[in-house]
Amino acid sequence: MNSPMLEVEDLVKTYPAKRKTPAVDAVRGVSFSVPAGEFFGLLGPNGAGKSTTIGCINTLVRATSGRITVDGVDIVRDPLAARRRIAVVPQNRNLDRDLSVREVLTYHGRYFGLPAAEREARADRLLEELQIADKAKAKPPTLSGGQQQRVMIARALMHDPKVLLLDEPTTGLDPQARRVLWETLRGLHAGGLTIILTTHYMEEADRLCQRLAIVDHGKILTLDSPAALKSSLPGGRILDLWLRAAAPLGPRLSAVAGVMKIEPVEVDGVEDGLERLRLFVDPAEGLLDRVLREVKAGGGDLHHVSLTAPSLEDVYIHLTGKELRD
Amino acid sequence: MTTFLALLRRDLVVAGRNAGPLLLATLTQPILVVLVFGNILPRMNLVADGFRTVMLPGLMAITMMMAGVQGVLMPLTQDLSGTREVDERILAPIGVLGVALEKIVAGAIHAALAGLTALPAMMLLMHEVGGMSVHPRWLSLLPLVASCGLLSAAFGLTLGTTVQPRFSGLLFAVVLGPMMLFGCAYYPWAGLSALGPIRYAFLVNPLVFMSEAMRFAVTPEVPHMPLGPMLGGLAFFFLLLAYTGARSFERRTIL
Repeated sequence: MNSPMLEVEDLVKTYPAKRKTPAVDAVRGVSFSVPAGEFFGLLGPNGAGKSTTIGCINTLVRATSGRITVDGVDIVRDPLAARRRIAVVPQNRNLDRDLSVREVLTYHGRYFGLPAAEREARADRLLEELQIADKAKAKPPTLSGGQQQRVMIARALMHDPKVLLLDEPTTGLDPQARRVLWETLRGLHAGGLTIILTTHYMEEADRLCQRLAIVDHGKILTLDSPAALKSSLPGGRILDLWLRAAAPLGPRLSAVAGVMKIEPVEVDGVEDGLERLRLFVDPAEGLLDRVLREVKAGGGDLHHVSLTAPSLEDVYIHLTGKELRD
Repeated sequence: MTTFLALLRRDLVVAGRNAGPLLLATLTQPILVVLVFGNILPRMNLVADGFRTVMLPGLMAITMMMAGVQGVLMPLTQDLSGTREVDERILAPIGVLGVALEKIVAGAIHAALAGLTALPAMMLLMHEVGGMSVHPRWLSLLPLVASCGLLSAAFGLTLGTTVQPRFSGLLFAVVLGPMMLFGCAYYPWAGLSALGPIRYAFLVNPLVFMSEAMRFAVTPEVPHMPLGPMLGGLAFFFLLLAYTGARSFERRTIL
């Protein structure tokens, strides 16, 4: 039987009201299932419920309702067995400041009851693999953000988990360190590890994840492979118009041949007074000409145009009507 | 159990590396008090002879209380701070309550060692003055020191998980300071009969039982609380504080 490595069913988490703060529905009915060996992503803005979902899976957050199993183990009924199967790379760098990098790994091995020979050998191998061997004796706070991130991954791998949970692993890293980390994660995935990653970087989700769930306001809006998500948009190209118009141009433009669908996009304060229209278009001969003519005929004052292939960001805008800002 | 011992080992190794500052933090105060009240003032004939004998076990209790509280409170503040180092330990296959218990045991070892270091140090300082009657009952001393250590560490866990770090200065001024003054450290519980029934109000202070326990073990000649109520008080406060501390540790760590 091929049961999923991770199964999340109807997960709900409501943080109870405290003095001055009302109750927060962080996760409102999330279900998904991840087969063994998949690289799965949760993509969404800050506050969408990604971290809470990860927290429920790793047992640090107590779900209000719902059921989670890891490798067939119910995490509420048998949290200790579940913890042996999962490894967590949290959002904040929480390396033990009082130990050296190598000790961070060997002590983690001790916590999980690894025999001495095994934990020493594994610590050395992971230090090597994650390219932090030269920092083995350093104290974690003296390392760069990217190095600390790799130590956290090495630590997570010490007890040979089946599922690796990474919560926003590249937030705060410079582009170079981010790329190094992507390579590391790809390597681990190629080695057969099941990886669950949360991120609010479209590019990261697009490059790494085999399937991803787009999350907003505690719910999954859609779930598929990045390619399938992008091709789910009407048309095949996206034409964005930033313009000023006395009367709405939507009806005029939707009549243009090749325009499949029009959506207004919420525009931030910076582009004050400008309206942004998003046209899902079939990039046929002369399309741009026809659109521009129609804008002019409708009395529109066009400021800026962009014609692009759809990205995950566009999928997100299509689903929520707003941009995903870092 | 393996996980528990591994966590304990980690805490002791780290504490061992910081032994210097830790000893300084816990022993400075009692040693200076002994120097002034147990050595200088008696030489000036400003305090009664018996006071030193009364004060010695009390100061041992205070040392253990401070060491136990600090031994848990300081690392815990770091654990629960923004970086949440504690999450790694909670994610070990042991459970939150296991981690809480480990904190208490680590703090208790810290406290017991501080108490056992303080005793000879203080005796040495008061040695040349004479007129002291210290006759430790070694067999009861060790289990009582261990019990006092556990109680102090449980108190540290309760304080560390309920008091926000920005109030920790206040904690020493408003909670620990008064506890030390009203904890029968500088006078025996038996002497409080002079106050009438109000003396029972002192019993809300767990340090009373610790001071009396040390009096029983170190200076048996001084009148002390009978063994039954004394052990009962230690056990009651340990269970109460360990339960409260563990529960609030769980609340702080699992959302």
